[in-house]
Amino acid sequence: MRVVIAEDSVLLRVGVQRLLADEGIETVAAVDDGGALLAAIDEHRPDLALVDVRMPPTFTDEGLRAAIEARKRIPNLPVLVLSQYVEERYAVELLAGGANGIGYLLKERVADVSEFVAAVRRVAEGGTSIDHEVITQLMVRAKRNPVDSLTQREREVLGLMAQGLSNAAIAASLVVSDGAVEKHVGNIFAKLGLEPSTSEHRRVRAVLAYLNLG
Amino acid sequence: MATRVNPNIGRISGYFLLNLVTGIFWFVLLVTLGAVSIGTAVIWVGIPLGVLTMVLARGAATAERAWLRAALGVDIPQPYRPLPATVTGRAKAMAKDPATWRDFAYWLIMLPLGALEFSLTVALWSAVLGTVFLPFYLHWLPATWEVTFPGGTVWLIDSFINALPVSVLGLLLGVVAYRLLKALGQGHAVLAQSLLGPSRYGVLEAKAEQLSASRARGVEAAEAERRRIERDLHDGAQQRLVAVAMGLGRARGKMESDPDAARELIAEAHADAKLAISELRDLARGIYPSVLGDRGLDAALSSLAARSPIPVEVEVDVEPRPPTAVESTAYFTVAETLTNIAKHSGATQARVKVSRTENSVVVEVTDNGRGGAEVRPGGGLAGLADRAATIDGVVVVVSPIGGPTVIRTELPCAW
Repeated sequence: MRVVIAEDSVLLRVGVQRLLADEGIETVAAVDDGGALLAAIDEHRPDLALVDVRMPPTFTDEGLRAAIEARKRIPNLPVLVLSQYVEERYAVELLAGGANGIGYLLKERVADVSEFVAAVRRVAEGGTSIDHEVITQLMVRAKRNPVDSLTQREREVLGLMAQGLSNAAIAASLVVSDGAVEKHVGNIFAKLGLEPSTSEHRRVRAVLAYLNLG
Repeated sequence: MATRVNPNIGRISGYFLLNLVTGIFWFVLLVTLGAVSIGTAVIWVGIPLGVLTMVLARGAATAERAWLRAALGVDIPQPYRPLPATVTGRAKAMAKDPATWRDFAYWLIMLPLGALEFSLTVALWSAVLGTVFLPFYLHWLPATWEVTFPGGTVWLIDSFINALPVSVLGLLLGVVAYRLLKALGQGHAVLAQSLLGPSRYGVLEAKAEQLSASRARGVEAAEAERRRIERDLHDGAQQRLVAVAMGLGRARGKMESDPDAARELIAEAHADAKLAISELRDLARGIYPSVLGDRGLDAALSSLAARSPIPVEVEVDVEPRPPTAVESTAYFTVAETLTNIAKHSGATQARVKVSRTENSVVVEVTDNGRGGAEVRPGGGLAGLADRAATIDGVVVVVSPIGGPTVIRTELPCAW
């Protein structure tokens, strides 16, 4: 697997590069701004672009804009956007072109190496991985009512589901039994009026579709 | 400073008719008392008398302001400086306050002016009435009039028909009287505003006082904010990173002798490091959320609402986009209010509504908590008011016991 990294902090750029190398993922180019990212993507045609939102020259959202632009040039190019903060508005913009091969995670998720690498692989294969903080924000701003009727636990499960986790992974993360998670997931799908599914990818899509995204 | 008013002619006339009485009364009273008190000042009696004169002049002026508002519709704010608590202090402050002497000046002018206004009103309206209705009562008059025009034509006013032109002239005079009295009424309003109202200097002085107070509070608020950030860093992320470094140091020492313990220490350090990151993230976001500059208030409020422990409904409509300072003041107002609601109100639900008027942004935060919120100096709500005051904003708190609480902040977009 070949990736392009766009990250202006040297420490993180090199760190992530090493972390991926440990997992056998090759970094074909590591750049530090949006323009260089687009050039590198054109040149290398990677399996995934790993992009920081905030980069020179304006240090606001150039990574995000570059990622959206890259997906316009190469439809369905897998892009994993990392950021110090996550914002539902950015997620909406990112997902507007389709949720296939989109990841949007807090930068600090890198610290949980195995989960981060799993997210990288999932997105590279066309899956979706959205930080659960984004899902929480989206649920607050969702105009529809059923989200309100979800219990606290169901919201947590929904958030993890949107990250692309399987029932087993959700159970491990919440320290509950697989059966309990299955029950929660069933209730969530019933309350949201969605078709139940066991495929992680389809479950993420269902949640996003429900939130009017992807 | 004078604002134009447009009182109706009936009110002006009524006001002018009474001015003779008020003018004479206050002129005579104040001038007599003033003269007596000056004359007797050497035997000390004059001093209390002088104070009484000032109190009367100010009281009369206060009544006149209310009367002017009712009669001419002119709103004149109290110009007086605040008085100290002691009796002698009050007397001195009154004597030093230029507004007292401007009140005197008004009452001195009121005698001739009131007499003039009274006479003009009586004369003009009698002339108008007399001429307009001449044809109707001409019959009962003992005499007739002859008007001889240059050239020898003679106009004999001796019948209803012959007197009609006089009536028409009377109507014209009515128009003149209307215009004249109206202008005089407006002139009087301007005079009253300039003598009874705060002087331009006074207005500027009050504004300067208010600005320096709000600036002082703004500086204090920024200072408190810096202290809070330092404390948060010191108690939070810094301590955690020390723990991380310590844990890793111990793990290195145990790597050979006790690999299991080392592994556990590394896991702890890892968890601490992640906590430190998330605390730093919260702190940085609390200083300034970059999405606010990028995407505006609506986008920035999403994460505030998502982080609130109680459900928050958000409704934002702020087009056209307000200036940066207004946006960030609105943002932090919502942030602090939501924090306060979660801490103190016992609410289970909150609602944030941000709307835009032509030249302001209105932030309304409502909760269903127990109410009874008060603005206390140094308290959270006073902090909100201080923050808003730095850009001339106003905070209104409505919080009856038992709730609901509504905190409404209006922030002008031009200041």
